[in-house]
Amino acid sequence: MQVFVKIQKNRYIDSLETLQQTAVLNEQEGIETGYVGMATAVFKEVIEEIGLSTDEIQACSEADYVIVASAESKEAFKNAVKAITSDEKKESETEEKKYYGSISEAVNDHPRANLCQISVPGEYALAEVRKALNAGLHCCVFSNNVPLEDEREMKELAREKGLLCMGPDCGVANINGSALVLSSINNRGPFGIVGASGTGIQHVAAILHEAGSGVSQTIGTGGNDLKEPVGGITMLMGIDALEADPETKYIILISRKPADSVLEKLLARIREMKKPRVVFFMGCDRETIEETGSIYASNLDDCALRALEIIHNDYSLGSLEELKEIAKEAVKDMAPEQKYVRAAYTGGTYLDEGMRTMWEATGGIYSNAPLYPEYKLESGKEIQAHTAIDYGEEEFTLGRPHPAIDASIRKPAILKEAADPSTAVIILDFILTPPGHMDPCGYVVDDIRKAQEIAAERGGKIAFIASVLGTTADWQDIHKQEAELREAGVYVCRTNYRAALLASEIIRLRKEIA
Amino acid sequence: MSDVSKILNLFRSELIVVNVGPRSFAEVLEKQGYEAVQVDWKPAAGGDKKMQELLEYLGGYE
Repeated sequence: MQVFVKIQKNRYIDSLETLQQTAVLNEQEGIETGYVGMATAVFKEVIEEIGLSTDEIQACSEADYVIVASAESKEAFKNAVKAITSDEKKESETEEKKYYGSISEAVNDHPRANLCQISVPGEYALAEVRKALNAGLHCCVFSNNVPLEDEREMKELAREKGLLCMGPDCGVANINGSALVLSSINNRGPFGIVGASGTGIQHVAAILHEAGSGVSQTIGTGGNDLKEPVGGITMLMGIDALEADPETKYIILISRKPADSVLEKLLARIREMKKPRVVFFMGCDRETIEETGSIYASNLDDCALRALEIIHNDYSLGSLEELKEIAKEAVKDMAPEQKYVRAAYTGGTYLDEGMRTMWEATGGIYSNAPLYPEYKLESGKEIQAHTAIDYGEEEFTLGRPHPAIDASIRKPAILKEAADPSTAVIILDFILTPPGHMDPCGYVVDDIRKAQEIAAERGGKIAFIASVLGTTADWQDIHKQEAELREAGVYVCRTNYRAALLASEIIRLRKEIA
Repeated sequence: MSDVSKILNLFRSELIVVNVGPRSFAEVLEKQGYEAVQVDWKPAAGGDKKMQELLEYLGGYE
């Protein structure tokens, strides 16, 4: 095998497309390993790691597009490159669709356009948002790593123009029934949600959907909206809009604890709200929330259930007793050395919730994004005692799509954790969304079965625990995904919180036995 | 209270999205039944931030 490279200077291809091209490249005859991408620092690091780096690639700039592979012959590489590029050609030949070079061109041709979805690298986001707002478009900004002063500027401009600026770093928003960016597809209903956590919004909306209700609109603010420099501009505008929207009968607000000065302003506004509302601000006490005339929620599950109570819907997520019974069953065939939880999450909200829930039972959890600094792992590739890794962290995702889209980011975790004889529990979360993997659970069940074989050879059994975030309206269908996991012997919990409760029960039982 | 009339207008109108970024985000919106208009974004001036700012200042970059 020999390494072959094709470089196109100053040609930009987005990371979703290069991900697909990498998949196609690796399927071609005569190709051992291949990789396609823009020549960013991360790309160079990745190909170095997999032994495909060349001086020519190292000399490329971020604006250059690279196809590299170890192939059995130059001919095989040429054919593989042709396979990728002919796919591109086919697409442009068959589609009559027009692609625009700028927002203003697009709006000139489509004057009724009303929302702009922006997913460009963070440093370029402000320029695009400005153009969109100046063209009269509301914005949903998925770009992350946007400087706080840029965020403040875009949101002030949006407020001045009376337009909604969702994000930056807005992964979830449902406007007029659509699932924008990485949202789930939801039933429509009487609940309007404004949230600074995408997973939080998606989680609550999914439970409302499963319980037979739904959402009018969901407005993602981005995780930094309630920080001091931004001042909650989008959260406040979102509240105003949902209060005035006749389709929204009830309002749900979700966030981590806002900065003190922002919290004060926000509580003052919430106090004046007329519609019944549930508020979940992680880390805010009950009294602070109830004093505003709002319904207090203690976690995401509780937030959805309290909301359903307003409409007299007694939907249940199951009892603690049920989980205790499952835990008893799960520990039966474990080997004596199996004592640790190993969790592989696709994002920070569930990582946080999982670690907090399991903290007492485990006595502490190491992580690449820990709750306390003394539990910090140098890298997400390490394992130490009870460990929870966020595969949505930059070390895994820089220059690559989110793990909800690129399921291969988190996949290696399963066999890695299973290789350690002290692993008792492996926790996985799955997120369904239109641009995501079409069968995220089916994609890993073979690895789960293999992991169980490895454990069985050692005379043990791993308790796999999973939760799937999504709805029956998602194209992947949550029930189908859950069934695939169950068939592979996974304990499927209705929510991430319940998954962490089950893991806690198992660890308690393991400690009792020891 | 902010003026939310434009946001309420959005809620009442047919959603038409201008997508700046990966084409697949526009495709999945169309598959959901919404109109999506694709802008093929690429870094201006070959990714040179300074040059981009300069072009923008001169009004030559759109």
